[in-house]
Amino acid sequence: MKLTNAFMVSGLTKTYQDFILDHVSFTVPDGSIVGLIGENGAGKSTTINAALGLIQKEEGTVSILGREELDRDIKEQIGVVFDGSNYPELLSPRKLNRVMKNIYRFWDEQKYWGLLKQFSLPSDKQIKQFSKGMKMKLAISVAFSHHSRLLILDEATCGLDPVVRDDILDMLLGFVQDEEHSILVSSHITSDLEKIADYIVFIHEGKVVFEKTKDELIERFGIIRCGSTQFGALDKSDIISYRRMGYEWQILVSDRKRIQKKYSKALVVPATIDEIMLLYVKGEKS
Amino acid sequence: MKGVLVKDLYIAGSNILVTIVSLIVLGLGLSFLLETSALLVLAPVASTTAAFISITSDAASKWNKNVITMPVSREQIIGEKFLLYILLAVLGIMTALIPCVVLACFGEDITLHSLCLYGSIGISATLLAGGISLPCAYLFDPEKSQIVFMMSFMASTGIITGLVLLANLVFSVKENTILTFNIVLVISVI
Repeated sequence: MKLTNAFMVSGLTKTYQDFILDHVSFTVPDGSIVGLIGENGAGKSTTINAALGLIQKEEGTVSILGREELDRDIKEQIGVVFDGSNYPELLSPRKLNRVMKNIYRFWDEQKYWGLLKQFSLPSDKQIKQFSKGMKMKLAISVAFSHHSRLLILDEATCGLDPVVRDDILDMLLGFVQDEEHSILVSSHITSDLEKIADYIVFIHEGKVVFEKTKDELIERFGIIRCGSTQFGALDKSDIISYRRMGYEWQILVSDRKRIQKKYSKALVVPATIDEIMLLYVKGEKS
Repeated sequence: MKGVLVKDLYIAGSNILVTIVSLIVLGLGLSFLLETSALLVLAPVASTTAAFISITSDAASKWNKNVITMPVSREQIIGEKFLLYILLAVLGIMTALIPCVVLACFGEDITLHSLCLYGSIGISATLLAGGISLPCAYLFDPEKSQIVFMMSFMASTGIITGLVLLANLVFSVKENTILTFNIVLVISVI
């Protein structure tokens, strides 16, 4: 079977006075979950906004579900969830249903009511009375109820408690059980992405630092924890980045097993995505 | 476009109800002081504030950002606001007619001439104000557009006065008030 991309950005560029999104390129293959990670202000939301036409891009191409033009047909098939409030707060879920069934051609009322029930969301309460978690569950229910093929979530799990986040992650995993469904999820909560993502795209200062499978990151990357003497003896070409934490040196390496063989006395431990991100952002390059 | 209009009607709902009740009470109350048909000047102006509220509500709830990702074009989103504005203006006129009709049934002297005169002034002022304030609501932030909204009614009054003075150069406005304000109304609609 031919592998196609549900979402693809190539050379996406946008310049602000104090920030440049610099030729960002990555893909979301069909049937996968791609996590877009990076610190606050790294360019995750700018990438998503430029890709969705919310801001004008200067350069680059965006392809969503095989089409470069984000027309009505494509918009029918994508569900977008932003952080915080997504809908007018004076509406209730019941009123929102009436609004949405007049916007989406393939609005599935039955599915919508089912999801509200599953999430225990009251149908006649105004959205302004909802907690942040309830608002997010509502937004996800809407995104799921018009037969979306691609979900784009921009910091959607931020500020939610672990139980709600876990519920949402379960839903996302359920969504990609269909091979035609894909998800792009931007977050700086890397532990969430460790649970669900197939690929990780790391953006730092407006540039893509790497685009790798999650398994490769978890299985191959590692951190050497050592003292100054051991650090001095290391071959600098083996080091991606490093930082000193008191008396300990933390050194990020891209091939944990090879490094362990090479420096048999060194303590080389697996790196979490959080640690990889931290060492890329805060560490020094060799 | 229908979905977006439904959303705005839901948001405007409570405001519309308050406006309708206020206009009817005001119309009946005014009858003791002056011509009830003068309410037709105020009614569309008062009822269209709900359109402006919906724009500020959209901005506050980030709906503006979200709706662009939905299968609705930018032209439809803006066109819907104008449609809502016109619907609310018509609703205002219809509401103002209720006390006029009620009082006419009880023998109040309400002429077709005064209804047409005040009606055309009210609709002209509302349409001109909407033509200024609605595009500005998308250009400026909520605070600035609120000022523009209030200023737009002053501007529309100025435009109407200017048009009347211009018409007065061609014919006597005092003798042809209905004709004058119908011309102003046609220009406002355009």
